[in-house]
Amino acid sequence: MGLLRLLSRIWDAITSFTRPPNAATLFRRADLIRQEGRFEEAAELVAHGLRLSPNNGVGHLLSAYLHLVFRQIGPAKSEFESVLALDPYHPRALLGLAKIALEERDLAACRPFLDKALQYYPDFPEAKALQDMVSSWTTAPAAPGQRPVYAGPPIQVEKLKPPAGGREFVLAQVDGTLVFSQQGDKDAEDLAGHVTQVYRIATATLQRAGLGALRRGIVQAATETTFFRTNDRLILALSFPQDVKVGFGLLETDKLWTNSLRELGVRA
Amino acid sequence: MSAEPAIPRPASARAREFRRILAEMLKIDRVRGGIVVAADGLVITSSLPRTVAVEPLAALTATLGRELEVGADRLKRTPFHTALFSADDGTVFLGSSPVGFVVVLGDREVNVGLVQWALRKALATLEGAWGPQSQIPASPEDI
Repeated sequence: MGLLRLLSRIWDAITSFTRPPNAATLFRRADLIRQEGRFEEAAELVAHGLRLSPNNGVGHLLSAYLHLVFRQIGPAKSEFESVLALDPYHPRALLGLAKIALEERDLAACRPFLDKALQYYPDFPEAKALQDMVSSWTTAPAAPGQRPVYAGPPIQVEKLKPPAGGREFVLAQVDGTLVFSQQGDKDAEDLAGHVTQVYRIATATLQRAGLGALRRGIVQAATETTFFRTNDRLILALSFPQDVKVGFGLLETDKLWTNSLRELGVRA
Repeated sequence: MSAEPAIPRPASARAREFRRILAEMLKIDRVRGGIVVAADGLVITSSLPRTVAVEPLAALTATLGRELEVGADRLKRTPFHTALFSADDGTVFLGSSPVGFVVVLGDREVNVGLVQWALRKALATLEGAWGPQSQIPASPEDI
């Protein structure tokens, strides 16, 4: 009997190399190589696994993650929804949908996903961090045309003239209310919405890192560099062509910031 | 002037490359920590002070990186390469790559120009594994 058992084990070991892997094995492998940043290979394994086991929650979750990595938001959303169809309280799928809702600036959709994830898994650190962040936002950035109107002191436009080369100058309150903009109304609202969202998330990030409240920001892209200046009430953003010297940009942004505060009667 | 496409490195080298990049950033004076985080919030590698929890910070930095990407797209701007956000006690630097985001934390006296330059070099290395190299200034003073 001992010899038979030994032969059987040897046979199993040999055939395990030639037998095609099952879905669970594929997903396990995919998850491991995903954690090394080998996303294309992981995506191939996940797709293979889901062909073998189309209703596997782990497979759909990995697929959702990989779509997010490749910035394919629609398919990622659909995969997270597939996970929830199998397990309505899956915390990571709920977190994934919350993040997508946040990207879409749909705070009304984002909050319930986070609340539900934390209802069953209160020690879920990523969900808690996002919930802490969004709970401090009084209102979501409103849809175009529904943005709250600035009701502060009147502003003399000529005193808020951006420097030569400066463009897309926008001044907003931290709740997203547009105070002043160099651009037309529609673009200005979109810009103020983005600037406010960056302010909010950067503020939460700095606080989480124990570094204090946001004061300045610089965002460098291929064609422009944008400078941010903020306090706990106002956000100023001003862009320059990409080749601007950072020192010049900072100096000009500071001048405009000082003028803006003076104009609004706000102390620095 | 070669127009040849970049040849992707063997995939197994990628994880090592991430760790090496982060280790290089951590050598800079006054840099206190860093993370390489994928766009989905997955932490690929990290080194942070004990007082800072990895997962919450990774979730927030990935969200910030995505807002900068999505916002630029919405405003029909070009995608961001690097960003920094300063507070009273330090600065968070963020670099965008196809892999995700490279995040560096500096204290209040960190040399901002030096970190930005090193970050751009790191991003170019990452892009080298995924696609074309971007232009890097010769020195931090050229930024």
